[in-house]
Amino acid sequence: MENELKQLIIDALDLEDISVDDIDSHEPLFNTGLGLDSIDALELGLAIRKKYDVKIDAEKDDVAKIFASVSSLAAYIESVRR
Amino acid sequence: MTTEPPVAPASVPKMLQRRLSLLAKAVFHAADRCIKAGEQVPTVFSSTHGEIGKSFQMLKTIGAGEELSPTAFSLGVHNAISGLFSIVYGNRQEITVLAPGREGMAAAFIEAAGMLSEGRDEVLLVLYDEALPDFFPFAPFRLNADAPCALALKIAAAGPGLALRFCRSPEARDDGEQPVQLLALARFLVSSDESLILGNPGHSWSWHKR
Repeated sequence: MENELKQLIIDALDLEDISVDDIDSHEPLFNTGLGLDSIDALELGLAIRKKYDVKIDAEKDDVAKIFASVSSLAAYIESVRR
Repeated sequence: MTTEPPVAPASVPKMLQRRLSLLAKAVFHAADRCIKAGEQVPTVFSSTHGEIGKSFQMLKTIGAGEELSPTAFSLGVHNAISGLFSIVYGNRQEITVLAPGREGMAAAFIEAAGMLSEGRDEVLLVLYDEALPDFFPFAPFRLNADAPCALALKIAAAGPGLALRFCRSPEARDDGEQPVQLLALARFLVSSDESLILGNPGHSWSWHKR
């Protein structure tokens, strides 16, 4: 799941020079770490909705926690898909 | 001048490069020689169609009933490239983005001349356009570029550089709009020609080296 998610991040966000192995599951996705920004967050939200039919609601969910890392994102998607 | 496929200059951070269309790369390729990081210079952008390729892709997405990419949406507006330009160089001066019609490139020169007459020392002028997607029927109008093209000029009321005079011309011409005129101006600037007239009936302008 985590590797699948990494590939989704690379494809959805056009991270041409980055491979799945370059992304640490536990490092921050935004600002530091991978260095993504707020437009990436929207794009990634859309990609996750399309692929997993999981909607992350900025009003209800703790978005910062969910998007903290690949690991937290994978855990959240698996918990709501069940 | 180059006709190679545009490559984003090193001034554009990697994380922003991935968001540049071919047209945006052409703009940065041209503008990069006219501005340094942190330099504050009022800028006039001029593009007849802007990111028309990107906009057209989004229209097709809407037509197919799919959701729009937030990234594409934010970069599809007419002033998108100027926004990226402002971020990349940290240029917080006034930036104007025009969409000229029959006046062609003259609109941008008039805008820049206005800024100079208000007391600005220099104005950066960036003209760019790309080919229209096949979908748009533009005949009999001549407003289609063959490929992404961009021209950047730093102009001042006085000082070193190529001295250029710009004025209205009474000649009735049929030179098309900016996407067609752009290359003619670029070629004129590097040629030994003394003057260039470009325009359309009732809307002709001339550039004179002096």
